Formats: sequence, C-alpha cells, structure tokens
Amino acid sequence: MPEIFINGQAIEAREDQTVLQVAREHGIFVPYFCWHPQLSVVGNCRMCLVEVEGRGLDIACNMPVNAGMKVFTESDEVKAHRKAILQFITLNHPVDCGICDKAGECMLQDYHYTYNGAASLSLDDKVRSTKYYNLSNRILLDNERCILCLRCTRFTHEVSKSMALGVERRGDVSNIRPVEDRPLGEDPYSDNIVDICPVGALQSRQFLHKARVWYLKPTPSVCPGCERGCTIQIWHRKPEWFLKSLDQRQNTSIARITPLENPAVNGPWICNKGRDLTRIFERTRADQPMLKGRPVPVAEALDAARRLIGAARHPVALVSNWGSNEELEAFKRYLGEVFHTHVKRDWQPEEGERIEDDLLIRPDKNPNTAKARDLFGEDEPAYHDGTDLVLVWGEGYDFARIPAQAKIIFLNSYLAPENGHADVFLAVSIQTERAGHYTNFQGVVSAFEPCFPKGESVLDAEVLFKALAAPARGHP
Amino acid sequence: MTFPVTSTSHSLAEYRARGGYVALEKALKQMQPQDVTKEVTASGLQGRGGAAFSMGRKWQVVVPDDGQPHYLIANADEGEPGTFKDRWILENNPHMLVESMLIASYALGVRNCFVYIRGEFDLPYRRLAGAVEEAYAAGYFGEHILGTGFSCDIVVYRGAGAYVAGEASGLLASLEGKKSYPRNRPPRLTVKGLYQRPTVVNNVESLSNIAWIIAHGAAAFKEVGTPKSPGTRLFSVSGHVNRPGVYEVELGYPWMKFLEEDCGGIQGGRAIKCVVPGGVSSKVLTGADIADLKLSHEALWDAGSTLGSGGMIVIAEGTCMVTLLAIMLRFYHHESCGQCTPCRHGTGWMHRIIDRIVAGGGRPEDIERLYYISKFNDGTTICGLGDAAGYACTGILDKFRDEFEYYIEHKRSRHDGNLECLRSS
Repeated sequence: MPEIFINGQAIEAREDQTVLQVAREHGIFVPYFCWHPQLSVVGNCRMCLVEVEGRGLDIACNMPVNAGMKVFTESDEVKAHRKAILQFITLNHPVDCGICDKAGECMLQDYHYTYNGAASLSLDDKVRSTKYYNLSNRILLDNERCILCLRCTRFTHEVSKSMALGVERRGDVSNIRPVEDRPLGEDPYSDNIVDICPVGALQSRQFLHKARVWYLKPTPSVCPGCERGCTIQIWHRKPEWFLKSLDQRQNTSIARITPLENPAVNGPWICNKGRDLTRIFERTRADQPMLKGRPVPVAEALDAARRLIGAARHPVALVSNWGSNEELEAFKRYLGEVFHTHVKRDWQPEEGERIEDDLLIRPDKNPNTAKARDLFGEDEPAYHDGTDLVLVWGEGYDFARIPAQAKIIFLNSYLAPENGHADVFLAVSIQTERAGHYTNFQGVVSAFEPCFPKGESVLDAEVLFKALAAPARGHP
Repeated sequence: MTFPVTSTSHSLAEYRARGGYVALEKALKQMQPQDVTKEVTASGLQGRGGAAFSMGRKWQVVVPDDGQPHYLIANADEGEPGTFKDRWILENNPHMLVESMLIASYALGVRNCFVYIRGEFDLPYRRLAGAVEEAYAAGYFGEHILGTGFSCDIVVYRGAGAYVAGEASGLLASLEGKKSYPRNRPPRLTVKGLYQRPTVVNNVESLSNIAWIIAHGAAAFKEVGTPKSPGTRLFSVSGHVNRPGVYEVELGYPWMKFLEEDCGGIQGGRAIKCVVPGGVSSKVLTGADIADLKLSHEALWDAGSTLGSGGMIVIAEGTCMVTLLAIMLRFYHHESCGQCTPCRHGTGWMHRIIDRIVAGGGRPEDIERLYYISKFNDGTTICGLGDAAGYACTGILDKFRDEFEYYIEHKRSRHDGNLECLRSS
C-alpha cells in the first residue's frame, strides 16, 4: 500500500489506482470532463492537471500512484492552467447556456464559475459547426457545444458495444459522427450518452426545450420495464414552480427519466425503454369505480366486491407482478386465505423489443415477478367448474379465459374495455402515485417513491385489500 | 566525400559491393542479442528524429526473451517541415535501413518489424518496397535467416498523410488501423506499444546507423563527432542557400563553415537573418546566435534550441518573420489531431490571430495573447505537437518582436519592399 501525499495530506493508496481515483475516494475534488469511472482513460480534456513535486504538471486521471509522491491539486500553477484550459474549451464553444437544456447541470458551466469566471480572451470568430445533427430518432448533436471528450464514442465502444459513434476530421473541426453501417438508433442504451455528455452537445429529443432543469426535481424510483429493476430518477416539476396557467398537465407529468446510480443492479446506466416510461404511466387512466360499467362511488363498489367475496365458494385471484412487495404481502395477509391465488404476467415483450442481452435487459418484462412467485408460487392460473369468482389485479389478462359462470372483480389503473365488463371495477394507483419496493430477479430490493397525487376515487391496492377483507355491511 | 548516386545505387548488388549485409552476418553468427544492444548503447547513438534520446537506453527497456511478442518500427513518416533526410536514405540506400532493421530485430527479439512510411512518399516507397523484395529473395527475411535460428518478417505500411502520425504513439494507433491519436504516457511504448506489446519506434536515420556500428564497432563510431554527440548526422538544408540538399555532417562541425563552404553560402550574398535548426518545431536562432556555434546537440541545447530532426531552413535578411510565422502556425493548425483541448483550440487560435495580423487587423494585445497560448500549450498536451507550435511561435516572437509590433502598428510588413515615406500618409 503505497503512501502518497495530496496537498500535504498523507493517504494510503492501492497500487493499481490513479491519483484521480485516490483523490476522489478521499473527498479531494479534481475537476475533469473526459474521465468517467465506467469508461477507459483517454486523458484528452486536460482538466485534471495536477502538480507533482519534481515532475511538474500532468493529468491525474492517467497518473499511477508512486510511493511518496507529493501531489498538489490547488497550487497556483495548477489553478492558472485550469483557467487556461477553460479558456481553450470555451474558445469555440457557443456559450449559449440560455437556450441549452444542459444548463444547470452542465460540468462546463460549473467549472467556469468555479475555476475561470473570466470572459473569453478571444475576440475572433468562433469555429462554426453543425447544430441539431440527427444522430438517431432519439438524440440530436450540437457539434459547436461538443468539447470532444469522447465519452459518447467510448460508451458505444465499451459499454453498449454498438460501435455507433466515431470522430470525423481532425483539429478544431473534428466532429462526432455516426458510423454509417451501425445506426445509433438500434442501440437500446443510446440515451445514456446524453447523461454522460459533460456539456449540452447531446440532446434528448424527448426532453428538448421541455423544461429548465432547475424547475424539476428527481424522485427516486424503479424501472418496471423488466425484472432487472434498474433504479431511476423520475424528474417532474417542483411544487413551488407549478404552472398556474398554460398547460397545467405539465405539473403532474414526467419530464424525463434518468438512471439513479446503483452498483448492485444497473451501475450508472439504464436502457432506452426506461426512458420511455411515459408510454406506460401516462396512458389514459381509469379513475372511476364501476359496477358492470355503471360509475358508482368507491364505498358502493367496495361493498359490492365484499358481497361477491363473501358469497363465493371457489374464488380464484390473479395477482399482478407489477404490485409492490408491500401490496403483495397485504394481499397475502388479508385475502390469501380467501382466494386460490396465482401470479399473472402483466406484460409480455413487445414486437421489436430486445428480449435479453449481457448488459441489463432481461426477458421477463415485469418488475416484481420474483416477489410475487415467492409469495404465491409459480402455478399457472387454473379454474374448474365450481369457480364462481375471479379477482383480476392488473392488466394483460384475457377475460375470455375466465369461466362464463364466474363473477369478476377487476382492479386496474388504465382505461381498458375489460373495465366495463367486470362485475366490480376498482381503480388502483400506479407506481408514480405511491411508495413501495420491488424485488428484482437477483433478489435486490429497490424502493420507489410517489411523484404525483392520485385521483379521488383511486385507491392504493394495499388499502383496498384490507378494505376487501373487512366484513360486508349487509344488503343495500 | 559524396555518395555516388546513380540509377542503380539503391540496388542490393551495389549495396553488397559497398560492404552491405556483412554486419548482419556478424551479428547473427558471432553476437548474442544483448551484445548488439550493448554495442549500440556503448556507441552513444542518439535518436535522429528530434528528441535525441539515447537509442541504447530505449532498447534496454525491452527484454528480448520475456515470452511475449515485440515489435520494431522504423518511423519513415517524415513530416517535420524542412526535413527530407530520411527520404534520401529510402531513395538511395534503402538496404542500409533494411539491414539495420534486421540487426535491431535480432537484438530486440522481434519477429515482425514494420516500416511506417508517409503516404506522400512515392519514389521512396517504391525503392524501399523493391529493397524488401530483393532482401526476401536473397534470404535476408523469412524463416531461419542465413541458416541461423533467427526469423523475421517485415511489413511496409503507408500512412495517410497526418503529421501527427509521425509521433511514435500516433504512428502506432495509425498502424493498428485507428485514427492517429497519440497516447498518454505512461505506459511507455517500450512497455506497451503496438497491440499492447513492447515496441521500439526508431527514426529511419537512427536505425540506419546500426549496421555501421555493428560492422565497425562502437569505438570507431565514437571517434567521429563530439563526446556527447557521437557520429554523423544528415542535415537537410533548404531556404536561402546556394546549394540546398542533404548533407552528412560529423557532429561538432562549425555551423558557419558548413553554411558558407559546404552549402555554398547565402543566396545573393545576403546576411543570415535566422536559421531554423531542426524542423520548424525547434526554436529559431539568429545569424548572430549561430556565428560561433558548432553543430552538436549540446551546443544547440545551450543556445536554447535543438538540432531536432536536422531539417535546417536558412532564412536570409529581408524575409518577413510575421509571414513566416503565419505559414508555420497554419501548418500546426492544419495538423493538430484534435484529441486534446489545448492543442485543438490553441493552434487554431494562434493561427487566427496571426492571420489577422497579416491581414492588417492586428491588435497590440495579440503578441501577449500568442505568448499566453504558447505558455499554456507547453507541457499540457498528450504529444509534442502542441508544445512545438508554442516553441515555433515564442522562438520567433522572442527574437523578432519589434517586427511584429511594426506590422501591427503600420498594418504592413517592414520587409514588403516599400519605403516607409511612401506609406506614411
């Protein structure tokens, strides 16, 4: 264990570490653009220059530790060079923070205020390049903002392995460009390059000019797209910045989704499906309890359901593998004795969707199959002649398979034709409206928190199961 | 003595007649690989590509039989402006390089060696390729060379015209089929080079000395030159001299004598304004600076410059230094690979400033700005290109600052041939 000195502080380092890694581990911040913990070292931004006694300046990200070396990260020489590097980087950068989606979370912006703060020394024209270059149907590239840190090209070469990006030409007219025969659009992890871009060069088309990031806040959540259960952050408008006019739906809609770093599950990445959860969560909601399609108050629907349960002799329940651990446990506790319970697979792989790969994507496209099977076993739903009540929780089940004589209690969140066919329909909340946990296929439990309020007649399934277990209040 | 260049002087038969491939036989049959390295180290031979690093010390890092492949690469990507000495070797004496590479491969435990030749070289490429064919036909390459256990193959690879591919690690990237982006050190190339294996990259001229050293011994090599700069060097002289060309000069030779007598003096009998000693990446020296200088590495280092690649450009009195610098900086801007920040933007910035000065739009702070860019390009980049652009710039600015001030103030060159009184109104 070589001992090194950073700014006079003695630090035990491991032999395979670089000075930058040692500094980060011990809370000493060295600025960098191109370095990324998950990618190879290219050392091209030169922002992490530090001074080593007797050796002068060199980059910390590519500097192996040497016993006894004395590193200075804040010497006058280092500060002067950082300032100059930022002058070089902003020389041809448009500095159009006012219209840039990255503003507020941009490394260049932060460093400029921390380490430079001066106006550009150059009065000459900047090098012009392409704006809004179409990398794929998800990502736009602004070559003027690009600082050529090559994080995106390294991501496509080392992580997603699509090899979709490269550098064209040389010098200050170098451009990131897609490789002709390897379209970025076919890379299911492509949107991660938008996150790792240290500046606003790569822009998500979903989020393009949608919101300033300081009006948004992230809520930790779990992606329900497959059994991997990647942790994500759902970005939505801060309550103090709620719109009072214009399109108020924006106040309760998802602005964007980014990964929440989690070494146990997904590292710093998620797939593009995880970015598109609005496709799942922002479908038209069913927020009104119904009896055979007739809207009724919640209490009446609950009563009707209790009566059905009370009268049934062979009730069967199909539980959702989109239910949280808490909801599944509540079902087991309150209704597990009453029903023959089977686990239902709410979502099947869609056409064209990647089924499985080495990085994250898993074949089961539901978030909580592991916990549901743990509680209720792996048997497929089965009925017999005496089945007189079926409780279906969640979507994705063909009602034609339910015996004709059986009554149906249906718990769903989204508008669907089946809602009106059920004898009792109860509206339940979705993931963004409640807190809970999912257990992924490896057994790792991750938490999600509510982002938005739910509708008046919408119930959390956990509460609903408890209410269903209470005795019926007699005939109306 | 001059080398008798004829239409067949590059052929194997004539090379053999001059005593060629004797050293190879001696090395393979009478010496162990480490003896060859020892001999080269003892000769004190320095690299001829620009850095003048000791060849022996570079070779010593490579352990010949450590169980992994090694590579030897002759850097024939001669791109430094003003330099055309390797071209001469490749055109007129390619077998000297081929034989030396075989000896070096033997010393370093190399099975496959490469020549990375710049794409613009046509005749040199054809001559070298012809020499390699002749050498294969004569059994100098392939399995069991000269009946010994040593086997070696060679690949001649043509570059695509990037100056930065002449930088050793950029060259390797290009040879691997990638964009010629130089790599960060560590690891050094002698530890992890081509395909992540120990690799020695040597300049064509440096390598070409090996055959002679092995044939005649390190002691004989050290008899020529100065103690710190042994041997001879090729200088490619261009600019305002009467007889430009490639000259082999023993190190320590008086500089003015070389220019006045060997190169035939300055055109039109003018005074020397300055000399670029070794490619434009070395700092210029004025006529007064070089008056008593000898052509050796140590003398040039003392004078604040370097012999560099031996590309000597002689500039006579009356030349506009502002325009000269503009030409140099345009070159660096054009050739910057764009990998690391200071060089990518710094070279372009310097070029825009100098172009504006030449166009008459100079501002008084521009000179300070050029110094600023040069300062922060120096030592902050991955390879030496950024540094070199700064050296070229500060070298000229230090010595001819008044000319730049004049240009900026009067919006014209002091050397444009117009009398000042005609322009004063």
